[in-house]
Amino acid sequence: MNHGPLIFLGVFFALALSWFGLVFESQLQLGNAQPTTNLVNAAQLYPQMRPGQARQGLDVYRSLGCAACHSQQIGQTGRTYDVALTDAGTNRSAVVDTLLKVKPEATAIEAQRLLEKPSATILKDVTRAAADAAVAKFEPTGAKVEVRVIPTGPDIARGWGKRRSVAEDFLFDQPVMLGSQRIGPDLADVGSRPALTAEWHLLHLYNPQIVVSKSVMPPYRFLFEKRKIGREPSPDALKLAGKFAPEQGCEIVPTDEARQLVAYLLSLRADTAIFETPMTVARANVSTNAPAATNAPAAQTTNSVAK
Amino acid sequence: MKLDPNKSPAPQEPEPTTGSAPAPVWLFVLVALLAFWGMGFLDSHGGGFDARVYAPYNSAKEVEDEWPKSGAGAAFARGELVYREVARCILCHQPTGLGSPGQQYPPLAKSEWVLAREPGRVIRIVLNGLQGPITVTGQQFNSNGMVPWRDTLTDQQIADVLTYIRSEWGNNAPEVKPEQVKAIRDKTAGRPGQWLADELLKVLETE
Repeated sequence: MNHGPLIFLGVFFALALSWFGLVFESQLQLGNAQPTTNLVNAAQLYPQMRPGQARQGLDVYRSLGCAACHSQQIGQTGRTYDVALTDAGTNRSAVVDTLLKVKPEATAIEAQRLLEKPSATILKDVTRAAADAAVAKFEPTGAKVEVRVIPTGPDIARGWGKRRSVAEDFLFDQPVMLGSQRIGPDLADVGSRPALTAEWHLLHLYNPQIVVSKSVMPPYRFLFEKRKIGREPSPDALKLAGKFAPEQGCEIVPTDEARQLVAYLLSLRADTAIFETPMTVARANVSTNAPAATNAPAAQTTNSVAK
Repeated sequence: MKLDPNKSPAPQEPEPTTGSAPAPVWLFVLVALLAFWGMGFLDSHGGGFDARVYAPYNSAKEVEDEWPKSGAGAAFARGELVYREVARCILCHQPTGLGSPGQQYPPLAKSEWVLAREPGRVIRIVLNGLQGPITVTGQQFNSNGMVPWRDTLTDQQIADVLTYIRSEWGNNAPEVKPEQVKAIRDKTAGRPGQWLADELLKVLETE
């Protein structure tokens, strides 16, 4: 056997090719990525760096191995379009006529009612061509009609996110906690779910079954401190009842790690519309950049999907 | 009979060697077909190797088509970004557009300078800055100097930010086009220093 050099060259080129394709090319394309200004309807750069406590929370997330069961990447398989009437204008009879043409199944009374709404969805789940055709029909009437882009896919249908994850979402994360297993739900956009407050997350970490009775997630009680109630109970103590409550005279208080982890979870948001992920968002509130003097969570209204 | 260890053993059959046989033709055909299919797949799913294209989109143009391209709405959103993040007008003129009268920063909301039908004067202010006494909404200000933006902002950015301040906070003046900014930029090229309000008042209102 005297094929040493040939085998070496074969292995070398195979590795070099995959290194160029997977590492070098990606580095060329995304290595110098900066926060983008190509936002639509949001007056700030994206992404913003996570606040300090949330950055510490990333280390807690990493050390606890959360990424072994939770991914942070939302997939998207397609998109669909809605057509919405935002301003009926003055020529109402013409608008009603056009509306009946575009939406033949509607009655005249229904059409009248749609006109009264400040922002009425006329067509749902149509193709781009159909949406554009409808908009063109409304043009001569002077009414303002817009096409709304709505991302679709199994992850989005589950309510895990509003659009797919893209490279920008992870720009300030070191390391990136992409994850590959989905034993638990995807967390890429968990911070934008209004029902999941800081209090909810703390209870969930202490014992997941308090809030999700069938949860298979292990409890992280070591992130909490059990201590005797002093002169009066701590305002931070978890509000536990029934079989989860500690014995009389004791209270459960979250440690710094628990707070950091919750701050990190609340900072996980992938709901900003950027160039790569077209979707129609509600117009941002004027005062979204209020100075962060308070500890109140950021306004929830910034980028909710207009649907 | 005893074997003599020093004596070489009886000659053996030679070791087998590798020969060569022609590879079957079907293997080459298969590899070629796979390569063809792979290239085709890459071409249709690669998004043109553009970092901004992700599934389910196939090209940058397809992504771009999903966004509202022009119109006052898009200019307004871009202008808000310039106001808040790029030029940081917000630091002096405030999120409310009311300025900081205590520090002699005049308001933009309801300001007759901003709301003038033709934007000639306000474009000049953004290009070269302004200093000295100025009356805005009936109030006297002694501006300690607005910074010139001629070299920092593009025509498009100035047009966007003006469109923004002319339609935010209840203001309602027509959009500013980049061409209008360019015309005045060329006209006032080489002008040193900031404007004085009196100088600007000499500029025709119809410009």
